[in-house]
Amino acid sequence: MPLKILIMLMLLFSVPAISSAAPLQEATFKNGVKLIVEEDHSAPVAMVQIWLKVGGRDEVPGKTGLAHVFEHMMFKGSKKLAPGEYSRRISAMGGNDNAFTTTDYTAYFETIPADRVDEVLGLEAERFANLALRDEDFQKEIRVIMEERRMRTEDDPNSHMFEELSAASLRLHPYRNPVIGWMQDLKALTIEDVRAFYKKHYVPGNATVVVVGDVDFARVEKTVARTFGRMRARDIEARFNPVEPEPFGPKRIQVKLPAQLPMLAITIPVPVWQPGKNDREMAALAVATHILAGGRSARLQRELVDEQRRAFAASAGYDPFSMGLDLWYVYGMLGPKQTTAAFEKSLWALLADMKTHPVAAAPLAAAKRNMIAAEVFAQDSLYLRAKEIGRMEVSGIGADHRDQWLQAIGNVTAADVQAAVSRWLKQDRSTTGILTPEVKS
Amino acid sequence: MKRHLMLTLLLPLLLICAHTARAVPPIQEATMANGLRVLLMEAHNVPMVAMQLSVAAGSRFDATGKAGTATLLAAMLGDHSARHDHRAWADLLDADAIHLGAGASRDDMSMSLTVLKDALQPGLDAFAEALLTPGWNKKRFTILQQDSIAGARKELEDPGAQAATAAAVLLYGDHPYGHRSSGTVTSLAAIGITDLQNLYAKQIKPKGAVLAVSGDITMDELLPLLNARLSGWQGAPAHDLMDITPAAVVQGKTADMQLPTSQTLVQLLRQGPARSDADFFPAFVLNHIIGGGGFGSRLMEEVREKRGLVYGVYSYFIPLAVPGPFVITLQTKADQAAEAESVVRDVMQQMADGKITKKQLQASKDNLSGSFAQRMDSNRERVGLISMIGLYHLPLDYLATWTAHIDAVTLAQVKAQAALYLQPAQWNRVRVGANLGSSTGK
Repeated sequence: MPLKILIMLMLLFSVPAISSAAPLQEATFKNGVKLIVEEDHSAPVAMVQIWLKVGGRDEVPGKTGLAHVFEHMMFKGSKKLAPGEYSRRISAMGGNDNAFTTTDYTAYFETIPADRVDEVLGLEAERFANLALRDEDFQKEIRVIMEERRMRTEDDPNSHMFEELSAASLRLHPYRNPVIGWMQDLKALTIEDVRAFYKKHYVPGNATVVVVGDVDFARVEKTVARTFGRMRARDIEARFNPVEPEPFGPKRIQVKLPAQLPMLAITIPVPVWQPGKNDREMAALAVATHILAGGRSARLQRELVDEQRRAFAASAGYDPFSMGLDLWYVYGMLGPKQTTAAFEKSLWALLADMKTHPVAAAPLAAAKRNMIAAEVFAQDSLYLRAKEIGRMEVSGIGADHRDQWLQAIGNVTAADVQAAVSRWLKQDRSTTGILTPEVKS
Repeated sequence: MKRHLMLTLLLPLLLICAHTARAVPPIQEATMANGLRVLLMEAHNVPMVAMQLSVAAGSRFDATGKAGTATLLAAMLGDHSARHDHRAWADLLDADAIHLGAGASRDDMSMSLTVLKDALQPGLDAFAEALLTPGWNKKRFTILQQDSIAGARKELEDPGAQAATAAAVLLYGDHPYGHRSSGTVTSLAAIGITDLQNLYAKQIKPKGAVLAVSGDITMDELLPLLNARLSGWQGAPAHDLMDITPAAVVQGKTADMQLPTSQTLVQLLRQGPARSDADFFPAFVLNHIIGGGGFGSRLMEEVREKRGLVYGVYSYFIPLAVPGPFVITLQTKADQAAEAESVVRDVMQQMADGKITKKQLQASKDNLSGSFAQRMDSNRERVGLISMIGLYHLPLDYLATWTAHIDAVTLAQVKAQAALYLQPAQWNRVRVGANLGSSTGK
């Protein structure tokens, strides 16, 4: 038996996944700007991403949504670029530009022909340093953002329910607030708020430039030195990362919305990965979550959906690369004849089983092999590669730790999985949310 | 929080592609003795292989009142086989990280495989087993059907899904394109396992089918592996992919769906070009200019950038065996819907009247040509493009010559396409929202 496991583990690591990625090349400039490059010369394309250590968590109460509003304003012109010109220039070189904001970071990215990287870095540095922030643009953009909120949240019962559930789950941690902002905050924001946010957070020490693709590191380094590297160094403040008080017992909320079918979701605050400190435990929680929700043989699907018929779809998720903590979640979508009570009961019974019975060798090996294979498949996309580098960097883990995480996954034992589920996935630490369909006349 | 998620959703629909010969490895072709066309593009940078089999067995073959048949068949084929029940099957796939998927669109049904290079053999074994030896387990059929029905019921909450359901009926009526591939609560309930078996027996055949492959493999390696597994698959489908007549054209029709949302979704629709249309490229560039090009497009500029009325407004057409839908869509809070629609109609009218500048045309061409490489940037994207080329009998140098085709589009051609497609009166409308009243937005 141990030999079999050993062979499986060896098979696991014969996967050339990790080695197929080129080594990361890094540089840090005097003003704090960081550059990370992964060269890949297989196609004449490059992905440029500018990562900022600023997100929803850096907003003050009453001003939620500001980091995201800011992201929109980055497309509204700067000293040298008219509103929309940035996008037009990127478009003219065949690129697509976009951006995203989360609680932890903001990232701006472009996919472009590789020979235009210098030009794009110049454009990015220009808007980063010299943004216009005109009130008339803000007044239009805030309306656009309210439409975005209506579309993504207000008119989507599942997402609306998750917003309420997150807010109920945490008392201090900023993951309790929606990144897009509460509607009443959006209505109250002003251009002055946006300007203050810019001054405080868009400083060189918060920026990481990630380039993946058909580029030469030395050349990109020179370009970044000439652009981002020239900005004046400014102080950076420590980020808001409070210690969430431990829960004292299960919480429940009910969200009544116009909807067709009920949904039940549970969240539990769990730790995130801190390299060298909790590798074994957090990798075990990630493997446990994969056993529950990943691949064809996921236990939630197999046992709760296919066998017990408690829901028509069910899943779970854990992000070990969050900041401070992660809100682990599981949910079930219930069909017309299925009840939230029965689903909930079966779910906790399944988790109890994972606490008392070690996972068998084959499913454990399959979970690990799939998690590592997913890394190889992700190498297929420049976007995902750059994104992984960027987010590990700005969350404080460090992009150079990605192989260490895969090693940790490979080392997880059945006992580790059992221990992680027992320690963290407890009913007493959970918040349960129930979406109750309400018929609107 | 993506700034324009819609665009990312849109790209696969458009099947945009092409340019610079240096960026396009050749598509290699082989035909197996059973008639299956194999198209391969090699890519050796990541140790993986992706492939997709496309067969003329899409939702247009669903019997009347049984929308969702092809989709359910795809789900059944992927779920288990004659030799492995769904449990053993799931364990077998997961043991080697074999990603096996299946689905149906209007024209075709597809089965896809993504594997690490070192799991190619078991991956192909599973692929062939799913395709050639269906299990037809009745209990599993009932479960998949019930869960699909629940999913369709849940979709009644989703404005986009509701619009798509209404749009298919409005635009195509009784035509085979007149329903969504996923089916509805009622149509899914009407399907029996024999409907799936009939479709399988009639249409899942190698002749006319295309296997598109991209990844760390050569044709010399691939063919023996395929021959060993697929040579027993024989026959021709009852209906060829191109064996379909165009739908009757409708114009000026409207449909409203009530949904208790704060926004109203407004969708304007008509038939667009078929995949084989001689003026495909001018029409394609036209769509990019009006609403397919994201932030550079006329609609985004007028409706979002200038007026702040929407988060997203975009256009696309779906080129199929015969004219598929051409769609312009937006969502905005209910009391702005009429204004937004009227801005869209103004833009359409202006363009139909020939108000398109050389500069706009050049900007669209630049973006389309320059963005070729990134659209080809992963194995799975390449497989999608190669499938389309094979399925619709496009030339194998389609990708290599794509930029030249885009560059060759003239302003006169785009204006002619605008006059042909963008007359507002020829469009139909679907709205989804609360208290829609009778406002026309004109």
